[in-house]
Amino acid sequence: MNRRSQDAPADTRRRRFIVAVSRATMAAGLLGGYGVFGSVLGRFLYPAGDSGTVWQFVTPTDRLAVGDSLIYTTPAGAEVHVTRRDDTGATGDFTALSNVCPHLGCQVHWQPQHNRYFCPCHNGVFDREGRGVSGPPEGMVLSGYPIEVRGGMVFIKVEATPLVVPERRS
Amino acid sequence: MTALSRWIDGRIPIEPGALRELTNEPVPYHLKRWWFALGGTPAYLFVVQVVTGVLLAFYYQPHPSTAYESVRYITEDATFGWYLRSVHKWAATLMIAAVVLHQLRVYFTGAYRKPRELNWMVGMLLLICTLMLGFTGYSLVFEQLSYWGATVSANIADTIPVVGGFLKRMLLAGEAYNERTLARFFVLHAAVLPGFLVALVAVHIALVRIQGVTELRFRDEPPQEEGKFPFIPDHIYTELIIGLVLMVLLSALATLAPATMGPLADPMTTPEEIKPEWFFYVTFRWLKLMGGTAAVLSMGLIVFVMFAWPFIDAWFRRRTPFREASVWIGVAATLLIIGMTVWEALVPH
Ligand code: HEM
Ligand code: FES
Repeated sequence: MNRRSQDAPADTRRRRFIVAVSRATMAAGLLGGYGVFGSVLGRFLYPAGDSGTVWQFVTPTDRLAVGDSLIYTTPAGAEVHVTRRDDTGATGDFTALSNVCPHLGCQVHWQPQHNRYFCPCHNGVFDREGRGVSGPPEGMVLSGYPIEVRGGMVFIKVEATPLVVPERRS
Repeated sequence: MTALSRWIDGRIPIEPGALRELTNEPVPYHLKRWWFALGGTPAYLFVVQVVTGVLLAFYYQPHPSTAYESVRYITEDATFGWYLRSVHKWAATLMIAAVVLHQLRVYFTGAYRKPRELNWMVGMLLLICTLMLGFTGYSLVFEQLSYWGATVSANIADTIPVVGGFLKRMLLAGEAYNERTLARFFVLHAAVLPGFLVALVAVHIALVRIQGVTELRFRDEPPQEEGKFPFIPDHIYTELIIGLVLMVLLSALATLAPATMGPLADPMTTPEEIKPEWFFYVTFRWLKLMGGTAAVLSMGLIVFVMFAWPFIDAWFRRRTPFREASVWIGVAATLLIIGMTVWEALVPH
């Protein structure tokens, strides 16, 4: 009798402690388990791997005179205006204007009659240097592709894989 | 009790009285006016979308190399494919229109005020969910405008500070539109968003049921007892009639103006004239006027204000002498939206 009533508080305390610990363990287990599962789901949905760009050979440097430009078609089919602006033999001589509008990514095209690049999506206009002169991309520039001169040859870094689009069946 | 009802009662012991109590809500008299029943219209159209959408999914193939051809097959070769596709498209259009009209009705009758603030916010989520369904559905066809619309939208997401790049990659399954992008749009369109929509509608209706609809009285109403009529069968009849009228309307629209196909997507050329679907004309015009991050941030602010409107309105009514400010703000906003939509519709660029 006496023993029991003395032990009771310790007993309850111990029991409370055990309950608390097991609750915490349970909660941690649930959180940890489903947390890991959730992060697996997230990682699965997030695109894996890099975007698949490659360095492509464009032209030997001496084939392009200062002021000249050529149109290079990438493996993915994009047209790139590559222009030589200087004659130092360094990378800075060349620009490779992307035709991807810096505003929201539509394709700009060259309008010879207006001497400008035009983006039909939101009426963006660029001068022949690729500087945005009106519309939303005003003040932005048509970004260049990364460009490099190695051993007298010009390379640019471009998307390697095209989006497979079939011909329209007629 | 018949043998059958005894048999059922032995297994599913639900009291008929309780069931009636639960489902048969007394409806205030003003719901006899059809424009107050507009909330039921998107719900009906959603069922149409699920039925026609599941059918379309039997033939649709979400891959850039086959998507366009599969939609062409649905439209030109599959028996009644043109009809189902056109009904799906028209029901989408009407559904968005109905949601907007429903929201306008709620707004101008002040039905979002205490205690219904939360249900207004659920309604906003429903609006966004519906618009996203329209957007992802349109992207599935893989014609020029769907392709460029998706590209532009993903890049809009990209301009959101901090999380933009992440959102874009999640949406496109990569840095740019690629082989895996359409599958994402398809799953969002046909599974994830409809799932969200169903859950939201359930909460929406549960809240309507708990709070009751806002009571309004028109002068010419019969002085009925408490001004209520029973949900079953009266309101069900109204909804059945609305459903039939919609079915006739959808079939007529599908026959007179069937869904067509624009030119196949070409990642190398943006078409000269590019437009989203009509319900994004407002945002599209806004984008042309503002450009860049400013447009996105201001749009986010507008959506936030719409979400928080019940609280902003309550503040107006408590703290300022302009108790009816909401009406004038609503009229101005509606006119602005209509104006910008018409503007966008009329000009090529
Ligand atoms: C509120 C719900 C929905 C809305 C607003 C909606 C909207 C749209 C729109 C605008 C299109 C493009 C139509 C076209 O140009 O042909 C579309 C296509 C499609 N939708 Fe839905 N949809 C909804 C629900 C569903 C559901 C639940 C499914 C399937 C379970 C589905 C499956 C499809 C399929 C397979 C297509 C591509 C075929 C085609 O374009 O003809 N949709 N949807
Ligand atoms: S994407 Fe070129 S102006 Fe907007």
